[in-house]
Amino acid sequence: MPELPELNPVIHGKLRLALLSLLSGIEEAEFTWLRSKTGSTDGNLGAQLLKLEEAGYVAVDKQFVQRKPQTIYRMTDAGRIALTEYVQALKQLLGGAMGR
Amino acid sequence: MTASNEELELKDRLRLIETMIAEGRRTTESYGWTFFLWGVAYYIAILWAGLGHSYLAWPVTMTAAGVLTVVIITRKRSKRPPTTTARAIGAIWCATGISMFVLFMALGWSGKLMDYNIFVAIMAAMLATVNAASSMILRWKLQFACALVWWALTVYACFGKGKSLTIAFLAALFFCQIVFGIYGMIREARARKQAAHHA
Repeated sequence: MPELPELNPVIHGKLRLALLSLLSGIEEAEFTWLRSKTGSTDGNLGAQLLKLEEAGYVAVDKQFVQRKPQTIYRMTDAGRIALTEYVQALKQLLGGAMGR
Repeated sequence: MTASNEELELKDRLRLIETMIAEGRRTTESYGWTFFLWGVAYYIAILWAGLGHSYLAWPVTMTAAGVLTVVIITRKRSKRPPTTTARAIGAIWCATGISMFVLFMALGWSGKLMDYNIFVAIMAAMLATVNAASSMILRWKLQFACALVWWALTVYACFGKGKSLTIAFLAALFFCQIVFGIYGMIREARARKQAAHHA
Protein backbone atom coordinates (compact mmCIF):
# COMPACT_ATOMS: atom_id res chain seq x y z
CA MET A 1 0.00 0.00 0.00
CA PRO A 2 1.50 3.40 -0.99
CA GLU A 3 2.35 5.76 1.88
CA LEU A 4 0.06 8.76 2.24
CA PRO A 5 1.80 12.14 1.97
CA GLU A 6 2.12 14.60 4.85
CA LEU A 7 0.65 18.04 4.46
CA ASN A 8 3.04 21.00 4.56
CA PRO A 9 2.39 22.57 8.01
CA VAL A 10 3.35 26.08 6.81
CA ILE A 11 0.60 26.05 4.20
CA HIS A 12 -1.90 24.03 6.19
CA GLY A 13 -3.02 27.00 8.33
CA LYS A 14 -6.34 28.20 6.85
CA LEU A 15 -5.39 31.86 6.53
CA ARG A 16 -1.95 31.06 5.10
CA LEU A 17 -3.55 28.68 2.61
CA ALA A 18 -6.08 31.35 1.60
CA LEU A 19 -3.29 33.92 1.18
CA LEU A 20 -1.13 31.67 -0.99
CA SER A 21 -4.14 30.69 -3.11
CA LEU A 22 -5.08 34.36 -3.60
CA LEU A 23 -1.52 35.28 -4.57
CA SER A 24 -1.24 32.36 -6.99
CA GLY A 25 -3.76 33.94 -9.39
CA ILE A 26 -2.28 37.44 -9.43
CA GLU A 27 1.12 39.04 -9.92
CA GLU A 28 1.20 40.98 -6.66
CA ALA A 29 -1.15 42.40 -4.06
CA GLU A 30 -1.23 45.10 -1.46
CA PHE A 31 -1.60 44.28 2.22
CA THR A 32 -4.96 46.11 2.36
CA TRP A 33 -6.31 44.11 -0.59
CA LEU A 34 -5.33 40.83 1.06
CA ARG A 35 -6.97 42.01 4.27
CA SER A 36 -10.23 42.84 2.48
CA LYS A 37 -10.30 39.48 0.69
CA THR A 38 -9.59 37.38 3.77
CA GLY A 39 -11.50 39.49 6.31
CA SER A 40 -8.56 39.10 8.69
CA THR A 41 -7.27 41.58 11.27
CA ASP A 42 -4.06 43.53 10.62
CA GLY A 43 -2.16 41.72 13.37
CA ASN A 44 -3.14 38.22 12.37
CA LEU A 45 -2.63 38.88 8.67
CA GLY A 46 0.81 40.39 9.30
CA ALA A 47 1.85 37.42 11.46
CA GLN A 48 0.70 34.84 8.88
CA LEU A 49 2.35 36.70 6.00
CA LEU A 50 5.57 36.85 8.01
CA LYS A 51 5.49 33.05 8.39
CA LEU A 52 5.03 32.66 4.65
CA GLU A 53 7.85 35.14 4.05
CA GLU A 54 10.17 33.27 6.44
CA ALA A 55 9.40 30.03 4.60
CA GLY A 56 10.35 31.75 1.34
CA TYR A 57 6.85 31.37 -0.11
CA VAL A 58 6.12 35.09 -0.50
CA ALA A 59 8.34 38.08 -1.23
CA VAL A 60 7.67 41.51 0.25
CA ASP A 61 8.30 44.90 -1.25
CA LYS A 62 7.76 48.09 0.75
CA GLN A 63 7.31 51.31 -1.15
CA PHE A 64 5.85 54.79 -0.89
CA VAL A 65 3.06 55.85 -3.21
CA GLN A 66 2.04 59.50 -2.90
CA ARG A 67 3.87 59.60 0.44
CA LYS A 68 1.81 56.72 1.78
CA PRO A 69 3.56 53.45 2.69
CA GLN A 70 2.48 50.40 0.70
CA THR A 71 3.43 46.80 1.38
CA ILE A 72 3.27 44.62 -1.70
CA TYR A 73 3.27 40.82 -1.53
CA ARG A 74 4.16 38.47 -4.34
CA MET A 75 4.25 34.67 -4.49
CA THR A 76 7.72 33.21 -5.07
CA ASP A 77 8.54 30.19 -7.23
CA ALA A 78 9.09 28.19 -4.03
CA GLY A 79 5.60 29.19 -2.88
CA ARG A 80 4.06 28.12 -6.16
CA ILE A 81 5.80 24.74 -5.99
CA ALA A 82 4.76 24.30 -2.34
CA LEU A 83 1.11 25.10 -3.13
CA THR A 84 1.08 22.71 -6.08
CA GLU A 85 2.57 19.94 -3.94
CA TYR A 86 0.07 20.71 -1.17
CA VAL A 87 -2.88 20.39 -3.59
CA GLN A 88 -1.48 17.12 -4.94
CA ALA A 89 -1.04 15.79 -1.40
CA LEU A 90 -4.59 16.86 -0.51
CA LYS A 91 -5.99 15.04 -3.53
CA GLN A 92 -3.94 11.97 -2.72
CA LEU A 93 -5.18 12.02 0.89
CA LEU A 94 -8.77 12.51 -0.26
CA GLY A 95 -8.37 9.52 -2.56
CA GLY A 96 -7.08 7.56 0.43
CA ALA A 97 -9.91 8.75 2.68
CA MET A 98 -12.52 7.77 0.10
CA GLY A 99 -10.90 4.38 -0.29
CA ARG A 100 -11.24 3.60 3.42
CA MET B 1 -10.75 12.99 14.25
CA THR B 2 -12.94 10.41 12.48
CA ALA B 3 -12.33 9.42 8.86
CA SER B 4 -15.41 11.30 7.59
CA ASN B 5 -14.49 14.43 9.56
CA GLU B 6 -11.00 14.28 8.15
CA GLU B 7 -12.39 13.91 4.65
CA LEU B 8 -14.69 16.91 5.16
CA GLU B 9 -11.76 18.95 6.45
CA LEU B 10 -9.64 18.05 3.42
CA LYS B 11 -12.49 18.85 1.02
CA ASP B 12 -12.96 22.16 2.82
CA ARG B 13 -9.28 23.00 2.18
CA LEU B 14 -9.63 22.21 -1.52
CA ARG B 15 -12.77 24.39 -1.74
CA LEU B 16 -10.93 27.22 0.02
CA ILE B 17 -8.07 27.04 -2.50
CA GLU B 18 -10.49 27.06 -5.46
CA THR B 19 -12.54 29.96 -4.04
CA MET B 20 -9.48 32.08 -3.31
CA ILE B 21 -7.86 31.49 -6.71
CA ALA B 22 -11.16 32.42 -8.39
CA GLU B 23 -11.47 35.47 -6.12
CA GLY B 24 -8.02 36.71 -7.15
CA ARG B 25 -8.79 36.28 -10.84
CA ARG B 26 -12.32 37.68 -10.62
CA THR B 27 -11.03 41.15 -9.87
CA THR B 28 -9.70 41.38 -13.41
CA GLU B 29 -13.10 40.96 -15.01
CA SER B 30 -14.63 44.37 -14.50
CA TYR B 31 -14.63 45.88 -17.93
CA GLY B 32 -18.35 45.68 -18.80
CA TRP B 33 -18.63 49.45 -18.35
CA THR B 34 -16.05 50.13 -21.11
CA PHE B 35 -18.16 48.29 -23.70
CA PHE B 36 -21.20 50.27 -22.61
CA LEU B 37 -19.33 53.59 -22.57
CA TRP B 38 -17.85 53.09 -26.04
CA GLY B 39 -21.17 51.81 -27.43
CA VAL B 40 -22.86 54.99 -26.25
CA ALA B 41 -19.93 57.10 -27.53
CA TYR B 42 -20.25 55.59 -31.03
CA TYR B 43 -24.01 56.29 -31.01
CA ILE B 44 -23.39 59.91 -29.97
CA ALA B 45 -20.74 60.31 -32.70
CA ILE B 46 -23.02 58.82 -35.38
CA LEU B 47 -25.96 60.97 -34.26
CA TRP B 48 -23.82 64.10 -34.06
CA ALA B 49 -22.29 63.43 -37.48
CA GLY B 50 -25.79 62.88 -38.85
CA LEU B 51 -26.77 66.36 -37.64
CA GLY B 52 -24.15 67.82 -39.97
CA HIS B 53 -21.05 68.29 -37.80
CA SER B 54 -19.17 65.26 -39.09
CA TYR B 55 -15.72 66.96 -38.97
CA LEU B 56 -16.08 67.47 -35.20
CA ALA B 57 -18.33 64.61 -34.13
CA TRP B 58 -15.93 61.65 -34.33
CA PRO B 59 -12.68 63.27 -33.09
CA VAL B 60 -14.39 65.05 -30.18
CA THR B 61 -16.52 62.08 -29.06
CA MET B 62 -13.71 59.54 -29.40
CA THR B 63 -11.22 61.77 -27.56
CA ALA B 64 -13.73 62.38 -24.75
CA ALA B 65 -14.50 58.64 -24.46
CA GLY B 66 -10.77 57.84 -24.51
CA VAL B 67 -9.96 60.34 -21.75
CA LEU B 68 -12.91 59.12 -19.65
CA THR B 69 -11.79 55.49 -20.07
CA VAL B 70 -8.20 56.25 -19.04
CA VAL B 71 -9.36 58.25 -15.98
CA ILE B 72 -11.74 55.50 -14.77
CA ILE B 73 -9.24 52.68 -15.41
CA THR B 74 -6.48 54.56 -13.56
CA ARG B 75 -8.75 55.09 -10.56
CA LYS B 76 -9.90 51.47 -10.56
CA ARG B 77 -6.40 50.06 -11.04
CA SER B 78 -5.17 51.34 -7.69
CA LYS B 79 -7.74 49.11 -5.97
CA ARG B 80 -6.94 45.98 -7.97
CA PRO B 81 -3.90 43.72 -8.04
CA PRO B 82 -2.36 43.19 -11.48
CA THR B 83 -2.65 39.87 -13.27
CA THR B 84 -0.92 38.70 -16.44
CA THR B 85 -4.28 38.01 -18.10
CA ALA B 86 -5.58 41.50 -17.33
CA ARG B 87 -2.36 43.05 -18.65
CA ALA B 88 -2.55 40.99 -21.86
CA ILE B 89 -6.16 41.95 -22.50
CA GLY B 90 -5.54 45.57 -21.56
CA ALA B 91 -2.59 45.69 -23.97
CA ILE B 92 -4.65 44.31 -26.87
CA TRP B 93 -7.47 46.82 -26.35
CA CYS B 94 -5.11 49.72 -25.76
CA ALA B 95 -3.06 49.00 -28.90
CA THR B 96 -6.18 48.54 -31.03
CA GLY B 97 -7.74 51.71 -29.64
CA ILE B 98 -4.61 53.73 -30.46
CA SER B 99 -4.42 52.19 -33.96
CA MET B 100 -8.06 53.06 -34.67
CA PHE B 101 -7.63 56.59 -33.36
CA VAL B 102 -4.44 57.27 -35.34
CA LEU B 103 -5.73 55.66 -38.54
CA PHE B 104 -9.12 57.38 -38.61
CA MET B 105 -7.67 60.75 -37.58
CA ALA B 106 -5.03 60.55 -40.31
CA LEU B 107 -7.56 59.40 -42.91
CA GLY B 108 -9.97 62.14 -41.84
CA TRP B 109 -7.41 64.96 -41.94
CA SER B 110 -5.95 63.84 -45.24
CA GLY B 111 -9.42 63.81 -46.74
CA LYS B 112 -9.15 60.15 -47.70
CA LEU B 113 -11.92 58.92 -45.47
CA MET B 114 -14.62 59.56 -48.04
CA ASP B 115 -16.08 56.08 -48.38
CA TYR B 116 -18.49 55.21 -45.57
CA ASN B 117 -18.34 51.50 -46.47
CA ILE B 118 -14.56 51.39 -46.01
CA PHE B 119 -14.85 53.25 -42.70
CA VAL B 120 -17.36 50.69 -41.36
CA ALA B 121 -15.39 47.74 -42.78
CA ILE B 122 -12.12 48.81 -41.13
CA MET B 123 -13.80 49.63 -37.82
CA ALA B 124 -15.73 46.33 -37.75
CA ALA B 125 -12.64 44.30 -38.70
CA MET B 126 -10.61 45.91 -35.91
CA LEU B 127 -13.35 45.39 -33.34
CA ALA B 128 -13.70 41.78 -34.49
CA THR B 129 -9.96 41.19 -34.07
CA VAL B 130 -9.77 42.66 -30.58
CA ASN B 131 -12.95 40.91 -29.40
CA ALA B 132 -11.77 37.58 -30.83
CA ALA B 133 -8.33 37.91 -29.22
CA SER B 134 -9.68 38.68 -25.76
CA SER B 135 -12.40 36.03 -26.03
CA MET B 136 -9.68 33.46 -26.82
CA ILE B 137 -7.64 34.52 -23.80
CA LEU B 138 -10.69 34.52 -21.50
CA ARG B 139 -12.29 31.48 -23.18
CA TRP B 140 -15.50 33.50 -23.30
CA LYS B 141 -17.86 32.22 -26.01
CA LEU B 142 -20.25 35.18 -25.83
CA GLN B 143 -17.46 37.61 -26.62
CA PHE B 144 -16.39 35.42 -29.51
CA ALA B 145 -19.98 35.63 -30.79
CA CYS B 146 -19.55 39.42 -30.75
CA ALA B 147 -16.38 39.01 -32.83
CA LEU B 148 -18.36 36.93 -35.33
CA VAL B 149 -20.97 39.71 -35.58
CA TRP B 150 -18.20 42.26 -36.29
CA TRP B 151 -16.65 40.00 -38.94
CA ALA B 152 -20.06 39.56 -40.55
CA LEU B 153 -20.44 43.35 -40.60
CA THR B 154 -16.97 43.66 -42.17
CA VAL B 155 -18.13 41.51 -45.08
CA TYR B 156 -21.51 43.22 -45.30
CA ALA B 157 -19.81 46.65 -45.38
CA CYS B 158 -18.12 45.60 -48.63
CA PHE B 159 -21.46 44.88 -50.31
CA GLY B 160 -24.23 46.71 -48.39
CA LYS B 161 -25.20 50.25 -49.24
CA GLY B 162 -26.54 53.42 -47.57
CA LYS B 163 -29.28 53.07 -45.00
CA SER B 164 -29.09 49.29 -44.66
CA LEU B 165 -25.39 49.48 -43.77
CA THR B 166 -26.03 52.18 -41.17
CA ILE B 167 -28.79 50.04 -39.62
CA ALA B 168 -26.50 46.99 -39.56
CA PHE B 169 -23.71 49.08 -37.99
CA LEU B 170 -26.05 50.50 -35.32
CA ALA B 171 -27.45 47.02 -34.58
CA ALA B 172 -23.95 45.56 -34.17
CA LEU B 173 -23.00 48.44 -31.87
CA PHE B 174 -26.18 47.96 -29.84
CA PHE B 175 -25.73 44.22 -29.31
CA CYS B 176 -21.93 43.90 -29.16
CA GLN B 177 -21.21 47.05 -27.15
CA ILE B 178 -24.25 48.24 -25.21
CA VAL B 179 -26.08 44.95 -24.50
CA PHE B 180 -22.82 43.04 -24.04
CA GLY B 181 -21.54 45.77 -21.72
CA ILE B 182 -24.71 45.72 -19.60
CA TYR B 183 -24.51 41.92 -19.43
CA GLY B 184 -20.88 42.20 -18.32
CA MET B 185 -21.80 44.68 -15.58
CA ILE B 186 -24.63 42.45 -14.32
CA ARG B 187 -22.25 39.47 -14.25
CA GLU B 188 -19.68 41.47 -12.29
CA ALA B 189 -22.29 42.69 -9.80
CA ARG B 190 -23.46 39.08 -9.28
CA ALA B 191 -19.89 37.91 -8.73
CA ARG B 192 -19.30 40.73 -6.21
CA LYS B 193 -22.44 39.69 -4.30
CA GLN B 194 -21.32 36.06 -4.26
CA ALA B 195 -17.86 37.03 -3.01
CA ALA B 196 -19.39 39.14 -0.23
CA HIS B 197 -21.57 36.17 0.70
CA HIS B 198 -18.51 33.85 0.92
CA ALA B 199 -16.58 36.38 3.00
